[in-house]
Amino acid sequence: MSESSEGEDVRELFVQDGVLLFSATASFINFVKSVGTLMITEYVDNRRFVEWKPIDVTVDSDIQDQEWAVVNTVERRVRTLSGNVLPEHKNRSKYLRINFEEIKSFRISDKSRRLTFNDGKTEQICTYLFQHGNCEHLVGFLKTLVKTVPSRRDKHLFIILNMNDPERERIDKSFAELNVCNDSNYVWNIWNFQERPVVTTLEAFAKITDLVYRVPQHREMDDDVKEILNKSITEYQHTSTTLSNGEYEVIDCVSDLPNRRDFPRGRALCSEQWNGVQDQEGRIEDSECLKLIIFQGGIVPSLRQEVWKYLLDYYPWNSTHSDRQKLILQKSDEYFSMKLQWKTMTKTQEDNFTDYKERKTQIEKDVTRTDRTIDFYAGDNNPNLQVLNDILMTYVMYNFDLGYVQGMSDLLSPILHLMQSEVDAFWCFVGFMNQLSANFDADQVGMKEQLSNLHTLLAFIDPELATYLDNHDSGNMFFCFRWLLVWFKRELSEEDCMSFWEVMWTGFPCENFHLLVCCAILDQEKQSIIGNNYGFTEILKHINELSGQLNIEKILNDAQGIFYQIKESDRLTDVIRVLLGLPVLYNSSLDNHETSPFVISIETSNESSNHPPECSVDDVRISPEEIQFEKSISSNFI
Amino acid sequence: MASRKKVLLKVIILGDSSVGKTSLMNQYVNRKFSNQYKATIGADFLTKEVTVDDRSVTMQIWDTAGQERFQSLGVAFYRGADCCVLVFDVTAPNTFKSLDSWRDEFLVQASPREPENFPFVLLGNKVDLEPRSISSKRAQQWCQSKNNIPYFETSAKEAINVEQAFLAIAKNALAQQNSAVDLYNEFPDQIKLTNTQKPSNGGSSCC
Repeated sequence: MSESSEGEDVRELFVQDGVLLFSATASFINFVKSVGTLMITEYVDNRRFVEWKPIDVTVDSDIQDQEWAVVNTVERRVRTLSGNVLPEHKNRSKYLRINFEEIKSFRISDKSRRLTFNDGKTEQICTYLFQHGNCEHLVGFLKTLVKTVPSRRDKHLFIILNMNDPERERIDKSFAELNVCNDSNYVWNIWNFQERPVVTTLEAFAKITDLVYRVPQHREMDDDVKEILNKSITEYQHTSTTLSNGEYEVIDCVSDLPNRRDFPRGRALCSEQWNGVQDQEGRIEDSECLKLIIFQGGIVPSLRQEVWKYLLDYYPWNSTHSDRQKLILQKSDEYFSMKLQWKTMTKTQEDNFTDYKERKTQIEKDVTRTDRTIDFYAGDNNPNLQVLNDILMTYVMYNFDLGYVQGMSDLLSPILHLMQSEVDAFWCFVGFMNQLSANFDADQVGMKEQLSNLHTLLAFIDPELATYLDNHDSGNMFFCFRWLLVWFKRELSEEDCMSFWEVMWTGFPCENFHLLVCCAILDQEKQSIIGNNYGFTEILKHINELSGQLNIEKILNDAQGIFYQIKESDRLTDVIRVLLGLPVLYNSSLDNHETSPFVISIETSNESSNHPPECSVDDVRISPEEIQFEKSISSNFI
Repeated sequence: MASRKKVLLKVIILGDSSVGKTSLMNQYVNRKFSNQYKATIGADFLTKEVTVDDRSVTMQIWDTAGQERFQSLGVAFYRGADCCVLVFDVTAPNTFKSLDSWRDEFLVQASPREPENFPFVLLGNKVDLEPRSISSKRAQQWCQSKNNIPYFETSAKEAINVEQAFLAIAKNALAQQNSAVDLYNEFPDQIKLTNTQKPSNGGSSCC
């Protein structure tokens, strides 16, 4: 029994995790694209609901069940909340809850991965995407509670027949009065057909079907009408069984991605190419082309020091020699003035500034244990450790909200080693942190989101492995935490790490490519994991022990292959497209929340609406416009 | 008597960053010390076969990241723990002050069946270093206030007391497991043994 609010007793009849809210009414727009749990619930007064709650809603009340619970005792201060923090919700009244009576129909699409509830006015209430498996079980259960009939127009649309609907009684009566069954023409002419042709048609049709199914003995029918109706019914059954089990399609569990192609690594960017792309004043005109070369083959080590400054947004691509000279002076001044800020802090100031002191202590602790096996940082009193320390301290002054978090020293270490310059290393580190700051959120939301996205991608690419992990307490993907937090820094040699990072910084071939890199490794380890029947601890151990064993060339090759498998898949979903930054298709009117005005129809069954909606439109963070991704990779790059 | 099945004891090491969690674990399991351990990211564990009271058991010792913001990830690892080892650095007063929150945190996240009887063991590490800022007495007072938690002063670097501490940890963890079994078998007497166990192996600096 789950928590109930305001003393209400509620039974959860059916629960399914890993359901993403794809579109919803305005008041829930903040939760759109969040993953949560979808439930069918029954309250003491026999009212039934379809309820959805985002994953983190019950953190406070249900802490033991949340692997990712953020516990208040740990986070005494809020520093760098990611901005995605959900408002504190405790009550079921805050869930996206739809009374069964509201639902007039539902539509299953996308090979049973997508489920849309409609309110009968051709408006969607909301759409869910099932990230783990499909909605088959939920729909199966739903159908034990309500009577449905497939729509004739759309075999994926199921119309709910409401037994207690007075409207239905009226129409039954009308049908009877009109003697509808003796004159089928009337069926399609009743009501405001012109105003709402689709719904009217569907409803009329559904009702006829219902009449036929439910009480045939009470209806006198002409033989030819019977024939028409029977024929129609047979047609439904026919259409719905063609590709389906029962009334909707069942997806095949076996991966049906196109074959994986081979993408051998290319040649590293060399001096000739690098000099060739600069004009006389030192501007780089075709930075995308350069990035593509780097994506395919990396950079020759001797060029890294210069090219990284561009990749890490220290030097603008279109800057001239003289621009850069000015920039260097300006950035150097800026750096040293920030450094002076903490260098001149007195002991009293520090003692009165706990947050600062904590960061300082943590940096001191970590600097002495960062890459000490590399010559550049080895030995006692190594001056490079002091530089590492100073850059991290200055970064604290540069971005105090983020401050210093474990893992950052790992990210800085190769940069400083390569740059051999405190100022250059600092500004390159700033550029890297701009990309990775979400990894260090105080509430760890950025990491949780990435792990969840990784699971989503893996479930798409390799449902068998994803299901195996789910069934072995590893669906949270926590064993990939270290990979993601410091971008494989702990798994690779310094040289490999540099090669890997510069490839990632190009932004090719898609967003979140590092997650596909994770998938490539997991794919490689799949046989070990499943073959040995590893559980939670063994999986973690196995993955941790891959450190130092990874062949980065092969993994990048595989990850690129996986990217094209996904991109060319005919079952590519919008969720995956969004994750990879591919253009989202709105190919179905029912799935298109751009053209479908939201209707606020959330059941407020606890008449006491003491809780005003906490998500106002002002808070909207994800809008359809934002999902128009600028980047579209065309395959002619390769 | 409980069955002679192979026993797995799950032990979680908690404490502030840089108190020596990884070093203690490695000293105990591998009898090695290195100045070059990196800050732990995520979590890892080592296992060691030990004999406790004539029983062969496998200890699975979990090491986690010390910075507080990573603790929200701990739940996945705390589950099913048989003993929690709290570590502080005897030369760093702040690491001692954090002990309460580590203990509370563990109880909240692991939610053991009987929080008041769940076995903790406290280790004051780095006794090889000077100057010392937390006295044995102060640490023991804290232990007494927490239902007599056993206390050991250790040096992972010099391998001082590490073996003894982990033996006590294993015994406490085993007692915890047995108490759960005994509860089930209606032999409640043995539970008291867990509570009255004295930190007798505490070494010279104890008491």
